[in-house]
Amino acid sequence: METILKVENLEKSYEDTQVLNDINFEVVEGEFIAIMGQSGSGKSTLLYSISGMDRPTSGNVLICGKDIAKLDDVKMSAVRLEQVGFVFQHSYLLKNLSIRDNIVLPGFKLGKLSREQVNKNADALMIKTGIDSIAGNDIKKVSGGQLQRAAICRALINQPDILFGDEPTGALNSSTSRGVLDIINDINLDGTTVIIVTHDVKVAARADRVIFLMDGNIHDKLTLGKYDGDEEKTSYREKTLYEWLEKKGF
Amino acid sequence: MNWLIVKNDFKRNKVINLALLLFMMFSAGLAILSVIMGVQTFASISELYEKAQPPHFLQMHKGEINQDRVDEFISNYEGTTYFQTVTMINVHGESISVVGNNDTYDLSDNRLGIGLVKQNETKDLLVDFDHERVVINDGEIGIPVLLKEMYDMEIGDQVVLTFDDMQREFIIKEFILDSQMNSPMVSSTRILLSDDDFEMLNGQVGENEYLIEAYFTDSKEASDFQTAYENAGLPQNGQAVTYAMIFLLSAITDITTVFVLLLVSILLIIVSFICVKFTIMAALEEEISEIGTMKAIGLQFTDIRDIYLIKYRILAVIAVIIGYILALLTSDVFTSHIRTTFGNMSMSPLAIVLSLAVGIFVFILINYYCNKVLKRIKKVTVVDALVRGKGFDKDKGHVKDGLHKSKKIPINWLMAIREVFYKFRNWIIVFTVVLIAVLMIMIPVNLMNTFESSEFITYMGSSLEDILIEVDNGEDIEDNYGKVLQVLQNDHSIESYYESRRVRVQTTDVENGPMNLHIDSGDNSGNELKYISGEAPDAENEIAISYLNNNEIGKNVGDTMVLSYNDKQKEFTVSGIYQDVTSGGYTAKSKYDFSELNSEKYSFSVNLKENSEVERTADEWSEIIGPGVKVAPMEDFINQTLGGVVAQLKTIVLLIIIIGACLVMLITVLFLRLRLAKDLSEIAILKALGFTEMDIKKQYLIKIGFVAIAGIFAGVILTGVLGERIVNLVLSISGLGVQKVELIVDPLIQYILIPLLLLVLILLSTWIVLRIIKKYNIISIINE
Repeated sequence: METILKVENLEKSYEDTQVLNDINFEVVEGEFIAIMGQSGSGKSTLLYSISGMDRPTSGNVLICGKDIAKLDDVKMSAVRLEQVGFVFQHSYLLKNLSIRDNIVLPGFKLGKLSREQVNKNADALMIKTGIDSIAGNDIKKVSGGQLQRAAICRALINQPDILFGDEPTGALNSSTSRGVLDIINDINLDGTTVIIVTHDVKVAARADRVIFLMDGNIHDKLTLGKYDGDEEKTSYREKTLYEWLEKKGF
Repeated sequence: MNWLIVKNDFKRNKVINLALLLFMMFSAGLAILSVIMGVQTFASISELYEKAQPPHFLQMHKGEINQDRVDEFISNYEGTTYFQTVTMINVHGESISVVGNNDTYDLSDNRLGIGLVKQNETKDLLVDFDHERVVINDGEIGIPVLLKEMYDMEIGDQVVLTFDDMQREFIIKEFILDSQMNSPMVSSTRILLSDDDFEMLNGQVGENEYLIEAYFTDSKEASDFQTAYENAGLPQNGQAVTYAMIFLLSAITDITTVFVLLLVSILLIIVSFICVKFTIMAALEEEISEIGTMKAIGLQFTDIRDIYLIKYRILAVIAVIIGYILALLTSDVFTSHIRTTFGNMSMSPLAIVLSLAVGIFVFILINYYCNKVLKRIKKVTVVDALVRGKGFDKDKGHVKDGLHKSKKIPINWLMAIREVFYKFRNWIIVFTVVLIAVLMIMIPVNLMNTFESSEFITYMGSSLEDILIEVDNGEDIEDNYGKVLQVLQNDHSIESYYESRRVRVQTTDVENGPMNLHIDSGDNSGNELKYISGEAPDAENEIAISYLNNNEIGKNVGDTMVLSYNDKQKEFTVSGIYQDVTSGGYTAKSKYDFSELNSEKYSFSVNLKENSEVERTADEWSEIIGPGVKVAPMEDFINQTLGGVVAQLKTIVLLIIIIGACLVMLITVLFLRLRLAKDLSEIAILKALGFTEMDIKKQYLIKIGFVAIAGIFAGVILTGVLGERIVNLVLSISGLGVQKVELIVDPLIQYILIPLLLLVLILLSTWIVLRIIKKYNIISIINE
């Protein structure tokens, strides 16, 4: 497996506050990584810095071997458009567009495929995530879970190398959350690398590896292996993770 | 407590507060300026009239006069308070040369009749700029401001009067204001000599014309008097004018200026109020969490409203005061023409009182408006404000599914067009402001074009030809007519010419009383004029009458009227009604030759084969024909008649274009800053999805561009629809004899230059504001 993301000596500070200190880790293609930590530990900041949503103060972030830390606006935008998909805690869909239009938008912008093909891909994603029946709806008229699924579809429309998620199920109830998680797992099983930030053990238990942050440093890492959906194994993974986290006072 | 909040707010929201202050200041300043202009125009004219006392009725007369009969009639007329007959020595422009500092020239190109007069005792005085009666010593001369403006004369210049065997030199001592002949629209002007100099020239040179002047207890009696005077068969070989017409002809330039300023003010006040509302809404939107917090800790609606109201009241007071001061300071510029024409005048108490009242009114209006806008705070709930982050926006409308259907349109264009199309409400401010700016600029520009256009002369009762030759009444009228005819018949450079002669006949007015009618008779008479209704006379028994005569006589197109002359009566059918400001607006046109009648005046309209030769040919003919005949290129005639209005309008139009341009730029900047603040999260999402800063800038440029083009388009259409109606409304109110004007449009200016100028300025302002997008960070916006 090839390294898809390499983070070297990453630091991030806001004015006088140092949020991340000397972060180093690698992610290989097809991996599912969960980043956990206490509130204020810097997990979201880390996710933004490695996904191209924000610039690190120093250090390198290599996606497919290309350092995105110092790219100009145009090149950074191209990375966001083509190589990265991002799902926020809230869906952040554009309110002037329908569900389907929101999903096809990055595809139209990229322009690599014909618009017809983008529409076909969007239809396939919507069927996969179960929102095909609300494709033409106004975003104000659908549920939170449906919105989040639409956000996932949008993030995947350009078939990114890595899908990032910042508490993607944080604003959803447990049953809806499970459905969204299943979709993310399926995407990962299809080969897309996934890196998410979460404070939820049930979510993190589905990851191959868990990175635990404390005070802006990587405090520890836990390898759980590939999740296959088996219920017994899931309980075991959750228990293992729970105990691991408990030791860290989480 | 409130003061502390207000103080902090002023420190924090400098840009928004400054913008609000500017808009309120604009509204107040312009409203006050319009009032000052309006009041000063009428006050200045009134003061000049009070001091100079022009007659309520004036009958000009050339030829023999039985003074005793005139005096007896007027003194016995009930209601007469004063009367006098002023002798005026008519001289030709060729007889007057001026030796200035830089050059020497004569007034032969002047189309106004020039008369030499001495100062009157108590009424119809020629006054100086301080409205004092001018006293001229021997060897000195007083020149009317009208001539000073035309020839740029200066005090101390030498004026030489040359007659056949006599030459007299004078020094310009004073420029004089002539209350009854201070407009180029009036066909004569008076030069003041000392009593001795006048008496010395009287009877020796020129031709005498008499100004028979009467005053009444009420100036409105003048028209009844006119009828009685004419019935009595008293001297009337010349134009008769009443006080009301003198007043209007004097004030046309300044009335036009006041009208244009008033129009601009009203439009700007509308824009300012829209902006005040928009700015307040945006400010409240930004402070939605503060408002929510205040509500959450138990502050009542009125408490919260008062915090904002105090702030807006403070801003309004400051704005009205600054606006007032600025209006006072700039009023000097706008009233300069009034001072030149009607003399110096300190600010009239009425102007001060009224402008203060308008200032207070604007403050009350702003206060009321703010109060109304702030009522929206009442409807915002704590949960909406703090939890849902929902502001005052009523998110109306349904989102249209359809972006995915587009096959070709580039994505930035697609998104921008969809937004403008489906969410036009969000952009209505820019649309409205651009529309108003176009109206504000285009109507005065078109008005100026119209005044400047050679075609406008056709609204004034003259036809549009290359050269106008006028042979005025006098002993030599027939000789002069013969000379002109000889020149015209022998000159091969002439393409065509039309002659008409003016005769006087009698008819009856609407109350069946007798009245005089001056008819221009000739083969081409009445052709090429603009008709309000009907058309030019064709058959010999047809007559076209001017709009004012139509009011006086009460006859409309198709009606018959009886004309009496030389004990004969002849029936005519009214073929059309036209607009005219010449000869006091009371004229008529007929093809019938009235051969039995003496001519009062001959006019020739000449068209040359080569247009470029007009100036030279006019000079040549003037030389050949000699004194007593005015030969002027039509362009000169127009310039001399309307030059003042056009010059004044040009200054104003330039100012309006600058104001309009600044306005659209200011609004664009302000609107866009507030729009961007509102769109922060959308921009962050687009950036997160991979749209570059340039993509986002492009989208805004397209949106603003589209809205601006729509505004310009609507503005141009509205100018076409409303422009003429507004101008015609004002013209008909002014009672000048012109009731309907078709605004003349310069397509290059209206359809290309001004729209392009506005569009470029708007896009430039947009581009400058959009630079801020670079500073937007996805995460800090999304986390807000």
